[in-house]
Amino acid sequence: MCKKLIWVGVLFGIFLLSLYAGGSGETAKQGPSMAAKPEVWSEVVAAAQKEGKVVVYATTSRITLAAENFTKKTGIKADAHRLSEVELIERLNKEAASGITAADVVLIEDYPSMMETLVKPGYLVNYIPPSAREGVPKEYQTPLVFAFVNRIFGYNTEKYPKDPFQSIWDFTLPEWKGRVMIRDLVITGEHQNAFTELIRRSDELEKEYQRRFGKPLEKTEKNAGYEFMKRLVQNDIILMKSDTTIAESVGKRGQADPPVGFFYVFSKHRDIPKKNLALAYSPNIKPFIGYYYGMYLQLTGKAKNPNAAKVLADYLISPEGYKPWSDEMGFYSANTKVPPYPDDKPWSWWKEHLWTYDPTYAAEHRGEVLDAWIKYVQKK
Amino acid sequence: MNLPFLFRRARSRLNPESVLSFVFMLFLAYVVVLPLFVMVRETFIVHPMERFQIPGSKAGDYTLAHWLKVLTGELAWGAFYKPLINTLIVSSLISFLSLLIGGGLAWLVVRTDLPWKKLVSNLAIIPYIMPSWSLALAWITLFKNQRVGGSLGLFEYLTGISLPNWFSYGMFPIVITLSLHYFPFSFMLIGGALRNIDSQLEESAELLGANRQQILRKIVFPLVAPIIFSSFLLTFSRGIGTFGTPAFLGGPVRFYMLSTMLYANIVGQRPGLGYIITLVMILFGALVLYMDQRMLGERKSFVTISGKGGMSAPFHLGSARTVVTLSVLVFLFLVTVIPFFILAIESFMLFPGNYSLSNLSLHYWIGPASQTIGIGSSEAGILRNAAILKALWNSVQLGILVALICGIGGSLIGYTIVRTRGTWKCSLLDQLSFIPYLIPSIGFGAIFLALFAVPRGPIPSLYGTLTLLVLAASVKYLPYSTRAGKGAILQIGPELEEAAIMSGAPWVTRIGRIIFPLQKAAFFSGLLLPFISAMRELSLVVLLATPGTDLATTITVKFTDRGWYPYTNGIMVLIVLTILLITAVSRKLMKTDLAKGIGG
Repeated sequence: MCKKLIWVGVLFGIFLLSLYAGGSGETAKQGPSMAAKPEVWSEVVAAAQKEGKVVVYATTSRITLAAENFTKKTGIKADAHRLSEVELIERLNKEAASGITAADVVLIEDYPSMMETLVKPGYLVNYIPPSAREGVPKEYQTPLVFAFVNRIFGYNTEKYPKDPFQSIWDFTLPEWKGRVMIRDLVITGEHQNAFTELIRRSDELEKEYQRRFGKPLEKTEKNAGYEFMKRLVQNDIILMKSDTTIAESVGKRGQADPPVGFFYVFSKHRDIPKKNLALAYSPNIKPFIGYYYGMYLQLTGKAKNPNAAKVLADYLISPEGYKPWSDEMGFYSANTKVPPYPDDKPWSWWKEHLWTYDPTYAAEHRGEVLDAWIKYVQKK
Repeated sequence: MNLPFLFRRARSRLNPESVLSFVFMLFLAYVVVLPLFVMVRETFIVHPMERFQIPGSKAGDYTLAHWLKVLTGELAWGAFYKPLINTLIVSSLISFLSLLIGGGLAWLVVRTDLPWKKLVSNLAIIPYIMPSWSLALAWITLFKNQRVGGSLGLFEYLTGISLPNWFSYGMFPIVITLSLHYFPFSFMLIGGALRNIDSQLEESAELLGANRQQILRKIVFPLVAPIIFSSFLLTFSRGIGTFGTPAFLGGPVRFYMLSTMLYANIVGQRPGLGYIITLVMILFGALVLYMDQRMLGERKSFVTISGKGGMSAPFHLGSARTVVTLSVLVFLFLVTVIPFFILAIESFMLFPGNYSLSNLSLHYWIGPASQTIGIGSSEAGILRNAAILKALWNSVQLGILVALICGIGGSLIGYTIVRTRGTWKCSLLDQLSFIPYLIPSIGFGAIFLALFAVPRGPIPSLYGTLTLLVLAASVKYLPYSTRAGKGAILQIGPELEEAAIMSGAPWVTRIGRIIFPLQKAAFFSGLLLPFISAMRELSLVVLLATPGTDLATTITVKFTDRGWYPYTNGIMVLIVLTILLITAVSRKLMKTDLAKGIGG
C-alpha cells in the first residue's frame, strides 16, 4: 500500500512537471523596436566593430560567399549557415520555444509560417538598414525583402524544340499523363502557399479553362482551384523530393520521353551549361507562367550581436553585398540599385507574368490546401 | 508507524539493486515519461498555424479537434488510415522477410558445416552498418526507370530493359531494401540463441531414441521460438518509424507511410496533428513490446553456469553443401558489396550519369574547391574539406561516448533487472528502459530538444553542445545494451554471487571480480552496437545538431539537398569504412563477437 502511494505520488509529480516543461507557450519577449529609435549609423558601425562577430542563417547556399566577403571588408567575422526552408523554420521555432537566440540575421522563406510563428511572437524583428531605405521600394520594406525567387514550368528542348504549352490546364491533359514532376507539397511550405493562390483566384482559372477548351469547366470540387489540383494529381503526377533532381530529369539529353517540370526553382537553370541540359522554361502559359515568393531579411529580437547584425543587413541589401547572387538567374533583388542579370528578363517582366500569394489568405488556407492534396494524392 | 522500525526496514532494503533501480527509474522517468506526457498534452492544444482550421480558436486554446480530424471525417482515410495500413503491411513483411533471411543464415552458420563461417558472419552484419537509405539509393541507381526521367538506371543502361513502376518504386523496393537492411538483426539474435542451447538437452533426447527431425521440432525450435518472436517484433517496431527510405522510394508512385505523414505535419506547422501520429506509432511499438514480453516471460531459466553449453554435432549439408555455400556467398556479395560499390563509384564520377571511364576522377575526394570543375560546388574534396572532416570526427566522438555510456549504463540496468526479477521494480524498469526504442527518432529528437535546450533547475541548457546529442543517442540506444546486459547476467547463476556475499565481498568486488570477467565479451559487444548506431544515426540528430555540432550524417543532408550526390555518397562511404575499421580493431583487441551484443 505504501509502495503504491509512493508511485502514484511520483507519477503525479511527473505530470505536474510536464505542465511546466515543454514550452509554457511563453515565447521570446518583444525585442527593442529596431526602426523606431533614430540611429546614428556611424555609432552602429562602431558598436558592430566592438561586437566583432555575427551569425547568419540562410536558405540560400551563396550566403557563405557573401559572409566571407563581408568579413574581408569589415573585419567582423560572419558565421554563415545554410539550412533548407523547412529546417530553418523548424530550427528557429525550436530555438524560440527554448528561449535561445543563436542567430543574429536570417534570410528566410515561407512568409506565412515566418509571420505566424516567429514574427508575431517577436522572435524575429524587421529592420530597414540605410541601403534599403535608399533602394528598396516602400512596399517591400516591411517585412524587408532580400530577393524574390521564381518557380517556373520547364521542358526538354531536345524533344520539344518549341514550347509545347499554352495553358495551365494542359498539365491535366492525357498527353501529359504520368510525365509531370513536382516537389511534393507535403515536404515544402512554399508550394502549399502557392496553391492557395490558385484557390483564391480560381475564377481566373475557370475563365482560362473556358478560353482554352471553348466550354465551361465541369467542377466536381468546390471551386476551379481545387478542381485543377485534383486533375493535376490524378493525371498520375510524379512526386519528387528535390528541384535539382527535377531540373536534371527534365533536361537530360538523349531521352526518348522526358518528363516536364512543374514549379521548380528557376535558378536551377544556372546548371544548364555545366550539366549540359536541354532545358527551357515556358513563357507562354496562361494565366501565369509560375509563381514567385520572397526571401526576407530579418533580425532576431534578442540578437547577441545586434549592431553587427544591422551592419550585415545593410551590406547584404547593398549592390556590393548582393554580388554573389547577381550573376545568376532566378534571384531578383528588391533593391532597385542592383543591376539585373543580363541573360535574364528584368524583374518587372517577371512580376507581370508570375503569380504570388496573399500572405494572410495563404496563412489561413494552406492547411486546407495541404489536406486536399493529401486526399487527392492517396491512391484508393 | 514506528519510526525506528521504518528506518531499520529502509536500511535493510538499501541494497545496491534497490538503489540502482531507484536511480535509474528516476532518470528514465525524466527522459521518457515526461516527454510522453508533454506529447499527449500538445495534442490537445491549438498551435499558431492550426487555428485557421479550427473556427473560432486562438493559439493556446485546448481542443479535441486534432483527434477528431485524425480519427474521423472524410480526410481521415487518406491522411491517416491508409498510411497506417501501408505502414503495418510494410513492417510486417519486412519482419517476416528479415526473419527468414537472418534466421536461415544464422542456422546455417551455427548449426551446419557451412564453410567460411567467419566470412559469412562478418559480411552478414554489414547491411546494418550501412545507413538504411544507402540501400534505397543503390536500388534507385540500379533500377530507376524512365518514369522519373534523367539518366538511365544502371540495369536499363546495361540491358535495355525498362522495369515496371511497381518494381522500381513503392512497396516492393521499400520492403526489399528495408528487409536487407534489418536482417543482420535477426541473424545476430537467432544466432546467439542457437549458440547458447545446451547440448546436454539434445544429447539426452538422442539417448532416448529421438531422431534429428524430432530433436529439431521438439527441443531446438521451442527453445529458439521466443527469440524468433522477439526479433520479428523488434524489427517490426523499427519498421514503423523509418522515414528516409519510404519517402525516397514511395514518392514517385504516391505511396505514403505514417512517417511521411508525420513529416508532412511538421512542415505544415501542425504539431498537434503530428504528435498524434507519433503517439500512434509509439502505441504500436508498445503493443509489440508487450507481446514480446509475454513470449519471453514464459522461458523458465537460461542459466548455464560455465557461460556456454557445449554444441551438438553440426548438421551435415552433404551434397547440397556447394550449392548452398555458393548461394549464400553470392547473396551476401549482392547485398553488401554491390550497394557499397555503387555508392563509392558515384563519388568518383565527375559528371553524374556518365558511366564512361573518362569520367572517373578523384576531384570530389582530394580536389580543391571550385566553381567550374564537375558540378562546381565550391566545396573542397572530402578529404580536404575541413567541415566534413570535423563532422566525421564529431561522429566518432559521439559514437565512442555513447558506446561507453550505454555499455556501462545498460549493463548496470540489465544487472538490476535480472537481480530484482519477479518484483514490480523489475518489470517497470524493463518497460521504462525500452520505451525510447519505441519513439520514432523523428519525434524523439524534438522532445529532447524541448527538455534540455533550456536550463531546468540544476541542469543547464545543453543547446548546441555535443552533450545534448550524446544524451539523446544514449537514451535511445540504451535498450540495446540493456538487453545485452540482461542476457549476459541471466547466464550467470546467482549462486556465484551468493557465494561471494557469504565470503564477505562488497558489491563492487562482486561486479569487478566475478560478473565482469565472466561476461567481458558480451559487455564489449554491448558497446559496439550503440557505437555503430550512433555513427549512422540521422533522424534522431537532425533537429538536435546545430551548425557547430554537425555530424557526418547531418552534413550529408546539406549536400543531398543541393543535389551534390558525389559528396553525399563519398561521406557515406567514409562512415561505413570508419565503422568497419573500428569493428575490426575491437574484434582483435577484445575478442568481441557482435552476435553476443544483442543478448540472444
